[in-house]
Amino acid sequence: MPECNPSTLSVEDVHLSYGSGPSSRSVLRGIAATFAPGEMVLLTGPSGSGKTSLLTLLGCILRPDSGEVRILGEPAARLSEDVRTRLRLRQIGFIFQSFRLFESLNARENVALPLRLNGFRRQERLRRSEAVLSELGLKSRMHLKPKELSGGEKQRVALARAIAHDPPIVLADEPTASLDSENGLKVAALLRRIAIEQRRIVVVAGHDERLGAYAHRRFHMLDGCIQEENN
Amino acid sequence: MFALAWRNLVHDRTRFAVTVLGIAFAVFLMTFQSGLLVGFTRAASRVIDSYDADMWIMPRGVPCFDFAATLEERTRELALGVDGVADAGRIATGYTVFQKPNGFRQTVLLQGVDDRFAGSVPHVIEGLRRESTLIDETDAMLLVWGKTPADVEINGHRGRVSNTARGFATFLGAPYVFTSYHDAVDFLRVPPEQSMFILIKARQGDALERLRDRLRARFPNYDVWTRAEFSARARKYWLIQTGAGGALSLSALLGFVIGLVIVSQSTYATTMENLEEYATLKAVGASRGFVRGVVLIQALCCGVCGSALGFLAVDPMVVLARSVVTWVLVPHWMFAVVSIITFFMCALASVLGVRAAIRVEPGRVFRA
Repeated sequence: MPECNPSTLSVEDVHLSYGSGPSSRSVLRGIAATFAPGEMVLLTGPSGSGKTSLLTLLGCILRPDSGEVRILGEPAARLSEDVRTRLRLRQIGFIFQSFRLFESLNARENVALPLRLNGFRRQERLRRSEAVLSELGLKSRMHLKPKELSGGEKQRVALARAIAHDPPIVLADEPTASLDSENGLKVAALLRRIAIEQRRIVVVAGHDERLGAYAHRRFHMLDGCIQEENN
Repeated sequence: MFALAWRNLVHDRTRFAVTVLGIAFAVFLMTFQSGLLVGFTRAASRVIDSYDADMWIMPRGVPCFDFAATLEERTRELALGVDGVADAGRIATGYTVFQKPNGFRQTVLLQGVDDRFAGSVPHVIEGLRRESTLIDETDAMLLVWGKTPADVEINGHRGRVSNTARGFATFLGAPYVFTSYHDAVDFLRVPPEQSMFILIKARQGDALERLRDRLRARFPNYDVWTRAEFSARARKYWLIQTGAGGALSLSALLGFVIGLVIVSQSTYATTMENLEEYATLKAVGASRGFVRGVVLIQALCCGVCGSALGFLAVDPMVVLARSVVTWVLVPHWMFAVVSIITFFMCALASVLGVRAAIRVEPGRVFRA
């Protein structure tokens, strides 16, 4: 019986397939892993190996066909859609490969969005979004819209959005894929920093070998199976 | 929520402009087509509504003012003997030939009424000047080259168009010509014992329905209608029993259907084009209620902007159209009705779009 730690994120023997019937394709086959606060974990593997699918399970976006996903010790696989949405809102911050910033909002407003969804008042939203952007070196850029920012700045805004409401879990999908090497390293260092200094669980899926240098642990995925590697 | 919805909507200005223009065209189409129908309906009973009479007596089966028949003129004296009748008057009306000095001939609907029943209908005061007539200003160019006074010939009698009036253009193609009752009788060569309509003024305080019933009992061979009833009867006749009314009703209906389809389609397309944003919202934890709110606000914003633009185009177009279709009319309540229907359709289309928006798989945000 796996340990039920209230501060960890874990998957237990999860299976996931897309489609149904003869066209069904199994993407995760009995995955089990635990991620602890204060560590940055890297999921590597070729395209189609199941990295992003595992992130969608960890982020309560998809449900596994079988097995369990525990968010801070709480079983989440069978919760209703509304409860999973609330869980996602409060406990998880996302960083996407293509940033997924709202082009109509400036950097500060993008960062304030999860705060707004979490019910923070306007003044508090402004204060927190400014603080987190300043911490990530974007104070002078907070009034610019995404199209006026560089790729690295956009990803830092996305990172700020992911942590502004102080979630214990941050999930990042290919966060350096759209960045040049210098910005990629900066973002990787930031992810490691927020894991260590803010005691968050940071799970990063990516091909980028440079991320490996910043991760505390790394898992390699292949054909829906997972194996921890020595780092 | 409003700020996010609005800013996300107007961020892509081209897409927003296309949506608003589509809705504006739909709103214009619905309003203008309805204006044609309302104007036609009002024109069909304009004369009836304008004479100062509580009750109309006419031969059986007369459907409207424009297709009158003769009744006995002594009906007026007999009506005065009915309890509750304060006054009774006559209208002489009929189609006749109007001829200009150059020989140009035009069929017109000539009408004359006893002075005290004229109400707001243009009329020539009895005895002021014999053989004097009035025409609507929009018919003046056709009948007298726009110049009054003008000497003309009506049904072989010498006549004179002394002035023009406003708001009584015909919708039948035969212009109205107004004169005094006695001149109308002369021009139309109506025998003295005949008339076309008997108009009744009720004694103050008497219920019109009861007076109508007494008149019906007294004149069982004639139709007796209150003004409102005869007005409704005329509108119904023109709208339902004539091809012209049917065609206008059908085109108004089609205008509405096309308009509503455009509104719905434009709103729905806008919602669907924003699916990526909704997926991101859902991925970061927005509730279904929040996403629904954003979609609905965006739909209503499109509706409000489109309606405003569409309504702006209505007035100039109506002014332009009146040179050809004199009776087109867009009352103020029409704007309210079209607005409500447009907003409702926007909301309905957004409800359909919202289903897609809240069902959108948030996992798509992981795809580059």
